[in-house]
Amino acid sequence: MPDPVAEKVIATLASVKRIPAESITLETNLQEMGIDSLDVFSLLFELENAFKISIPDDDVRSIKTVNDIVEGVKKLLAAAPPETSMGSTSPAS
Amino acid sequence: MPRRVVITGVGIISALGHDLAENWDALCQGRSAIRPLEGVDGSRVNLKIQNAAQVRGFDPLKHFEGGKDAQLDRFAQFSVVAARQAFRDCGIDLTAELREQTAIICGSAVGGQSAIEAGFEDLWVNGRGRVHPLTIPKTMANAGASHIAMDLGLCGPAFTVSTACSSANHAIGSAFRMVRDGEAEMAVTGGSEAFFTVGMLKAWEAMRVISPDTCRPFSKDRKGMILGEGGAMMILEPLEAAKARGARIYAEVCGFGMTADAHHLTQPTVEGPARAMVAALREAGLAPEEIGYINAHGTGTPGNDPIESRAIRAVFAAHADKLGVSSTKSLHGHALGAAGALEAIATLLALCKGVLPPTANFTERDPECDLDYIPNQSRPAQVGAALSNSFAFGGLNAVLAFRSL
Repeated sequence: MPDPVAEKVIATLASVKRIPAESITLETNLQEMGIDSLDVFSLLFELENAFKISIPDDDVRSIKTVNDIVEGVKKLLAAAPPETSMGSTSPAS
Repeated sequence: MPRRVVITGVGIISALGHDLAENWDALCQGRSAIRPLEGVDGSRVNLKIQNAAQVRGFDPLKHFEGGKDAQLDRFAQFSVVAARQAFRDCGIDLTAELREQTAIICGSAVGGQSAIEAGFEDLWVNGRGRVHPLTIPKTMANAGASHIAMDLGLCGPAFTVSTACSSANHAIGSAFRMVRDGEAEMAVTGGSEAFFTVGMLKAWEAMRVISPDTCRPFSKDRKGMILGEGGAMMILEPLEAAKARGARIYAEVCGFGMTADAHHLTQPTVEGPARAMVAALREAGLAPEEIGYINAHGTGTPGNDPIESRAIRAVFAAHADKLGVSSTKSLHGHALGAAGALEAIATLLALCKGVLPPTANFTERDPECDLDYIPNQSRPAQVGAALSNSFAFGGLNAVLAFRSL
């Protein structure tokens, strides 16, 4: 059963680290695969844009695996409707 | 007795090419890299700048792995690429002790402009409520020096000098003195710049100093500067250490002079640059008659070129007529904080290859610019010593003196 949130998180992580998405699973430990704090910040930035959510700083500290990110994103998506973007123009992305 | 300081390694990426061989070839051939501007969409803001000297075909993924490329703004990528080349070129085996005694002193006028501008575009144009989290560490002007330190494992004194168009000369001069005075056993020094963003180009356009076609320094029909980008780094070490390890020596850095005009934000004076040249000669222990070549600041603006010519005449008197003076900005563009480093490398070419690089695009003599500007074609000539001039907006002048060995 494809999980669109998990797929998006993995694809974004692969893009940030310039590695194949196939090398990443939900169980992948971020530290073990050489993801440092800057990589995580870049990843969260991309996910915030992709899912139109805002990830609180407190949620970031407990992230250890890819699945932690997926679950965190799902929780945020369930808790609130996607935030509307600022301004009247539509995003150019 | 102060130590003598020599250049034993060089790395460069500019519009003229991605390594030293390509750059020297273009300088020798007088082949200008000024082309129509690419990769900047200024259509929405009526950008008038049409030509530039850009680094083409640079693929960061060939130089940085694992997503590292995204952590460095283009200017910092150029810093690292040039520093790696310079270290490979100097052939030294870095010991743990030497790593701690190696300084990194880089010049950059504006730092990571692409990063900050993309962030502001997200905020104000794209209506996003957030800015990329690496905006700050990518924008900071010291990113080049920091990434060189991390990339090469160098742990000595490291900092960035930002004095607009004189940045690299101030950096190289400072590194020269640190090695000379024993504060560092080795230094990697130079400059890097990459600022081709819509906002920066509009800001330059507003100053009305950019040529609508090409850069013709000292030529009567000159219409201004052409902007460039790139990075150049060199390895400085004491002469004795270089000799002891049998290193190839490009030239000696022997003098550095710096002054402030204390006059005007953008209008140069004759006296400020002249005093900087005199100071560089004095520190080098060189008589004016020993200089055979000057790599001029030579922006190609109506304002700079006659004033610089008069400053050279004021320092060199009758010997001014025997000097070869060229502006290689006509070839590699004006790369702001990297300019002095690109030009130092052109000056090394003059000293160690016996080829004076030309002033390209020269069409017509100007009575107000009455020196020998080596028009359009490089000239074979063995010169014993040379100066490289950089003068910044804000009236900050920095001149380096080099001697052949």
